[in-house]
Amino acid sequence: MMARVNDPELTKQRLHLVVEEMYDRIVKGEPPTMTLPVRTKNNIGFDKKLGVYKYGKKRSTRDATSLGSAKNLLRALHVVEFIEEMIEAGKSSTLREMYYISEAWGLGKFGSQNESNNLAEDLEVVTSCLREDFKLRPEEDGARMIGNVTLMELNRKGQWMTINARDDVGDSGYGLPYNVEIEKIQLKEHDVKFLMAIETGGMFDRLVENGFDEEYNCGLIHLKGQPARSTRRIMKRMNEEWDVPVVVFLDGDPWSFRIFASIAYGAIKTAHISEYLATPSASYLGITSDDILAYDLPSDELSKKDIEALNAELTDPRFADGWWQDQINMMLEIGQKAEQQSLAKYGLDFVTDTYLPEKLEEMGLA
Amino acid sequence: MNAIIQEPWAMGLGRLRPDVIRTKEDLGGVRHVAGIAEKMASNQKQIAISEFFEKNKHFLGFDSLPRSIITAVKESVDNSLDACEEARILPDIKVQITKADLKKDILELTTEDNGPGIPQKSIEKVFGQLLFGSRFHAIRQSRGQQGIGITGVVMYSQLTTGKPTHVLSKIASEPTAVSVKIGLDTRKNKAVKSEQTRIIWENDDLTMKEHGVRVTTKMKGKYQRGRQSVFQYLRMTSIVNPHAEITFVDPDGEIYHWPRVTEKLPRKVDAIKPHPHGIELGQLQRMCRETSDSRLSVFLRQNFSGVSMRAAKELCEAAELDVSTKPKSMKPDDIRAMLEAFQGERDVGGKVVKLLSPPTNCLSPIEEMLIKKGLSKTIDSKFISTMTRAPTVSHGNPFQVEVGLIFGDGMAADKPVEVLRFANRVPLMYQQGGCLLTKSIESVDWRQYGLDQAGGRGVPKGPAAILVHLASTNVQFTSEAKEALSDNEVVFEETRKAMLEMGRGLRKHLEKKKKMAKTREKFELINDILPAIAEKSAAILERPVPDLAGSITKIMSAVICNETTTWNKETKQTDVSITLFNYTSRARSYSILVNWPERSDGEMVGNERGGRKEAMGIWGWKVETLEPGEKAHIQYSLSNLEKGDWTETDVFFRGSQDVIGASKLDEKMLEEIRRQEQILVEADKEMPADKEEAQPTFDTGVVEGDTGQTTLFGGDV
Repeated sequence: MMARVNDPELTKQRLHLVVEEMYDRIVKGEPPTMTLPVRTKNNIGFDKKLGVYKYGKKRSTRDATSLGSAKNLLRALHVVEFIEEMIEAGKSSTLREMYYISEAWGLGKFGSQNESNNLAEDLEVVTSCLREDFKLRPEEDGARMIGNVTLMELNRKGQWMTINARDDVGDSGYGLPYNVEIEKIQLKEHDVKFLMAIETGGMFDRLVENGFDEEYNCGLIHLKGQPARSTRRIMKRMNEEWDVPVVVFLDGDPWSFRIFASIAYGAIKTAHISEYLATPSASYLGITSDDILAYDLPSDELSKKDIEALNAELTDPRFADGWWQDQINMMLEIGQKAEQQSLAKYGLDFVTDTYLPEKLEEMGLA
Repeated sequence: MNAIIQEPWAMGLGRLRPDVIRTKEDLGGVRHVAGIAEKMASNQKQIAISEFFEKNKHFLGFDSLPRSIITAVKESVDNSLDACEEARILPDIKVQITKADLKKDILELTTEDNGPGIPQKSIEKVFGQLLFGSRFHAIRQSRGQQGIGITGVVMYSQLTTGKPTHVLSKIASEPTAVSVKIGLDTRKNKAVKSEQTRIIWENDDLTMKEHGVRVTTKMKGKYQRGRQSVFQYLRMTSIVNPHAEITFVDPDGEIYHWPRVTEKLPRKVDAIKPHPHGIELGQLQRMCRETSDSRLSVFLRQNFSGVSMRAAKELCEAAELDVSTKPKSMKPDDIRAMLEAFQGERDVGGKVVKLLSPPTNCLSPIEEMLIKKGLSKTIDSKFISTMTRAPTVSHGNPFQVEVGLIFGDGMAADKPVEVLRFANRVPLMYQQGGCLLTKSIESVDWRQYGLDQAGGRGVPKGPAAILVHLASTNVQFTSEAKEALSDNEVVFEETRKAMLEMGRGLRKHLEKKKKMAKTREKFELINDILPAIAEKSAAILERPVPDLAGSITKIMSAVICNETTTWNKETKQTDVSITLFNYTSRARSYSILVNWPERSDGEMVGNERGGRKEAMGIWGWKVETLEPGEKAHIQYSLSNLEKGDWTETDVFFRGSQDVIGASKLDEKMLEEIRRQEQILVEADKEMPADKEEAQPTFDTGVVEGDTGQTTLFGGDV
């Protein structure tokens, strides 16, 4: 199982292996290379032991025979050097800071922040370290949470603060930090029957305003679209440490299906740490393709991109089970998608008074 | 000032009022109206000339305020260019527009040229008479006129501001210039002179003006920018008149300058007689009536081109007329019969009378090199492909199509390409969609040549401009506005063919560019990135920097040719440098060949490697045993060329292993070039006078054959 290496020397050793591969190839009179697992849906498989999807055995070699990959190798070397410097100086930086620092790397500078993020992930994958080991922090902010759960967070002054995410926060809830590991966040106690992850801010606020968390005794988490690592990690921790079920309430479109897959099965991009981020027992509440018809929801026609995404999902191993195949095929058939907030067709309270109770009852949670 | 005049009344249209003329489709030119206006005046009809003007202003070019100022500039500048061409003077033209009255849209236009000037006694005629200086039978390529010439401007000016037009004119043989104000007596169609004096005309630098004309006029008008503007008109004019120097000062005081890029004046064109295939009934009637020839056969032979003595006799036979018929006494039915014989509707013994094609030396194309220069002075870009087709004939009218395409970074990539249309060197600015020239562009599937085009139809999109010029003795327009060419299958096909050839040139260029970019990338990889990887990895591991030679050979595993053609400002030469790298693990040997502008009198200098001439415009070198990791240099310069004349060199190779950055030589094509060269040498011996025309250009390594473009790359690239 992958875990924090939390050992600077071991991290450096593993990074050196990457550098050695390049160096040795040049010495042999060959183009330098970097070998890493293929990071596409064609190379993820279900790990029965862990209950999540992980990268398979396919490996790709990035070699310096084209300008693009050669630049990538050079960048990797710069990043390795930069990480070593940070480890030695006891510093850390955000991915964005690294992107700007790369301005000084001449030929090895990044073209976009996406490139630097991807390279950091590449190095994680190759070395089996986490970016925390690399002293790199994400830029993305974590989720908001409301509900009767009590956490302890180590503040800037090094003191543990106890926060109840219902009584000690305002309407916008408790904002999770980017690091939700044990050294930063401790789960103290809770009185919730389940956690509900919600895609859009509008729906999160609706449920808060309607007092849904208190009425149904649950925790509400705003995902902000594709959830950050820390969001997925805290859900995983609460699910494991407290044994609280997680339900996921998203829009009814192909992209939401992907969000769910990344929460429950692991994301393709981060399949090397799926067991650390994914919550295999999470269940999809809605909006399902059935819901669009059953509730006669106002819907939009699928775009060309939507249809492409749905077709891609049909061959995605994470959606291989019958229920998902049905949902995807049905959406393709009706050619429509619907947003969470389309439930407002029947009034502002419909979602909390009718839709969610009905769905939760089906799931045995209400 | 010599468009073809076909008088409507001679065609049996008699007592026409100007507003009726518009309905007659085939009038083909506004000059008829002018003719009628004169006729009206001479008939003493009391129709105010202002009424005539008002009724016809849409095709006189004064139908809207923005267009009026363009028309006025056009009339003046066309006159200047024509006068300079006639007098063999390199034109220097200045145009200035100022706002004379902001509230009332009154503009003041001043145009000045360095033409021969107008003698004092002719000024009234040129500026104040509706019909002046035209010949009947002369058929030749001419700029023609938008409306009724400069007189229209004088008239419009007077009608809208009540002010006369000021003319300053100096001819070389007189020490002083004449200064005079010209107005029009709109009832009598007569010029009214006032304030005539003689003055000393000095240039801005206080030197004496030798000769030229300056016209200053106030008129109602609106200055606009954009595709239909004075600016665009002058810009386009400068493209197709590379021999002219044009300066324009706009109402904001902004100065635009289009420099002269060649000292070569357009060829003086000869007038030709009409060809039987291109004649209409009215014209034939008039010619019969006016001729002094007493025999029909002589009349036919002497007044038409393409008619031999034998053909004249056969035509008479076909028309069932005696050769000795007196043309003047021919009855309408006889004339109609002759016309039918002309058009092949009557024959002799089942055979249509064979006529020779009209001569084509009456055309004055701009020619490829000058189109190139014209385009590159107004549009800053790297790649230009041009094509002047051989002259050909449609319905007895000689014509010639020229096209140019400029492609590059300076232009918008996501917009339709700019279409620059010209007829006899006159820019066409309106009615783009309805024009034959546009349609021929739209008929080409430009996607195969590297431009975007939705569905393979319509004007393509991309960072390019397409120029198309029709030179013809008889330009057919869709309407009297003279802004769009009417459909003509032969002209359409010629234009389309020219587009296709040019498109192939563009594709070749883009492919080469792509290849070069790839080669550049590879060089960046091995020269910059790979050493950096080696150094950085060595530094992190604290080990020595490894040798790169093996990796480089593996990465490149090819022979690479790098070519640069650059203008050297100091030596005024074009420097060409070719480097051949062997990045394979074996020794290689090649012949390297290049094309160079031998036909355009380029000279190869500083070629230290020697080599030998392989054919006209093709030079070759042997590169023996290039060891792995070695490189070979070839360097030379081209003199006797101007900047922009030669910007790309094609490199070819003979040898077994492919060379990245060069093309494999097609031996058959080299043979073809040598064969063509032989033909040309022989042709040159026979007709030294026509040298210029007989030479196809080898400028881009391209040989013109009957089937269009063939190249050293072998067939259709």
